[in-house]
Amino acid sequence: MSLGHEAIYLVPALRILNYFITYITQFMTMEKFMLIIREDLKRIGALTDEERFSNMPEQMEWIKSIAESGNYVTGEPLEIRGRYVSKNEVLSDGPFIEAKEGIAGYDMIMAENIDQAVAIAQMCPLVMKGVAVIEVRPVSMLDTLS
Amino acid sequence: MASIEQAVDKLYKDHFGKMVGVLLYASRDIDPETAEDLVQDSFSAALTDWKSNGIPLNPAGWIYKVCRNKALNKIKKEKRTEGLNENTFQESVEIRFSESALDDQQLKLLFACAHPDLSPKVQVVITLKYVVNLKVDAIAGVLGMTVDGVDKLLLRARQKIRDEKILLEEPPPAALRPRLPIVHKIIYLIFNEGYKSFRGTEIIREELCEEALLLNKALMDAHLGNKHTAALHALMLFNSARFKSRFGLSGELLNLEEQDRSLWDKALIQLGNDFLHTSKGEEITSFHLEASIAFLHCRAHSFADTDWTTITQLYARLLKEHPNPFVELNYAIALFYSGQRLKAFQILHALERQPILNQYYLLNAALGKLHHLEGQDDLATQYLKKAHEQTGVAKERELIQKMILEIETGES
Repeated sequence: MSLGHEAIYLVPALRILNYFITYITQFMTMEKFMLIIREDLKRIGALTDEERFSNMPEQMEWIKSIAESGNYVTGEPLEIRGRYVSKNEVLSDGPFIEAKEGIAGYDMIMAENIDQAVAIAQMCPLVMKGVAVIEVRPVSMLDTLS
Repeated sequence: MASIEQAVDKLYKDHFGKMVGVLLYASRDIDPETAEDLVQDSFSAALTDWKSNGIPLNPAGWIYKVCRNKALNKIKKEKRTEGLNENTFQESVEIRFSESALDDQQLKLLFACAHPDLSPKVQVVITLKYVVNLKVDAIAGVLGMTVDGVDKLLLRARQKIRDEKILLEEPPPAALRPRLPIVHKIIYLIFNEGYKSFRGTEIIREELCEEALLLNKALMDAHLGNKHTAALHALMLFNSARFKSRFGLSGELLNLEEQDRSLWDKALIQLGNDFLHTSKGEEITSFHLEASIAFLHCRAHSFADTDWTTITQLYARLLKEHPNPFVELNYAIALFYSGQRLKAFQILHALERQPILNQYYLLNAALGKLHHLEGQDDLATQYLKKAHEQTGVAKERELIQKMILEIETGES
């Protein structure tokens, strides 16, 4: 079959290309952003993990759709506990536990520019429902000699 | 009467977006919202007029003419003092009345929709509306959104298109090239929406895949494409070739193992091959990698015959440049079939611990399936039951239910 013949030619070529370090145009123009998700920590602190993470099909759909378009990198929710460290002291509960807009999680995304990153963040179901606000921050990069 | 409505409906589907595009192109004084209103009015006028006077010989031309006059009146009203050069406008409108499948005007609109400030989802919605000419309810159906949601997106996007005047008026290709990666992504996503197994009727989904192929073809025909366009084309062709075999006799979803490979369209696979060769160049995009994976599946005579080792390498490469937990799931599955079972389970269990991914029915379905293949049927059933709860889509539920039954009755 002609297909088999084509494959003989193609597969080794792919293997070689595997070692061929090239940049990807798509990423050349895209920038990285952190979406910092801020929620009422007192409210979600009172929920069990199960309550907090179950029934999130819309959140799932949102993440899936930005993953499909190649914009999603990673993301994690944070636990509602932690330490707060400064030069002179370590506060076990930190002021953030009671915060109305405390950091509840983050997502890393790639976007064409900050407007697109904002447009993506606006579609987050938590934002649309009004239970979270998202801070959109470009990840800092140095301009170096190349 | 009914036939007149049908005729208008058909014209509406074919010409609405095109006419809006024509108006936008013809005058910088018309914004997308006004253009849509004018075209809408013209169709209402046609319906009323034709009911008493019958359908004219050239129905499309009739509506275009009415629309042009309405636009001229509107501009005259607004620019009485400035003195409009009516001839120029008329000429430019007439020049644009081409009837080809996808003309320059539509291509320019496609590039206008690829506005970098818009989210990919919005880009897809406005492309479906203005370039592919889908109605709002069809867009909502196919993207799993509400009509209201689509309307809201369009409302927000209009402002951006309004800013696109310069792009719409400038000739290609210099102004368009920088937008090409976004255009590729839009086409890829439209294809994806069509390829998804569950939304809308099969016919609509297949049409959507065809639209994506047409748009991409038009890019290449207009010499606006590059090697990445060819890679994307190959990817879409390989997947199109397998479109029909994904469903069984009663329309149920089939696993890759169960698909009848003799139904795969060899002509499309061969065509995909040609494009994959054309696409070779210095850069390797995710389209190249995904197309190569799809090719290796198409080439295999059976599930067991699949070159899983190379597929895992391609996935590893894809993940290195585009980290993505959903692709990681596919990577783990490929690892399992290539014999690296331990590593496969390590990845799957790591994904399982992520609260978001844990909610993903396909992850749990995969865990169920692979544990079953390892002979751990109790564990397998637990995962499958979890997956069953997590999807609301009837066809997917059926497939998982079938897998649970097979385990319980000791089949397969």
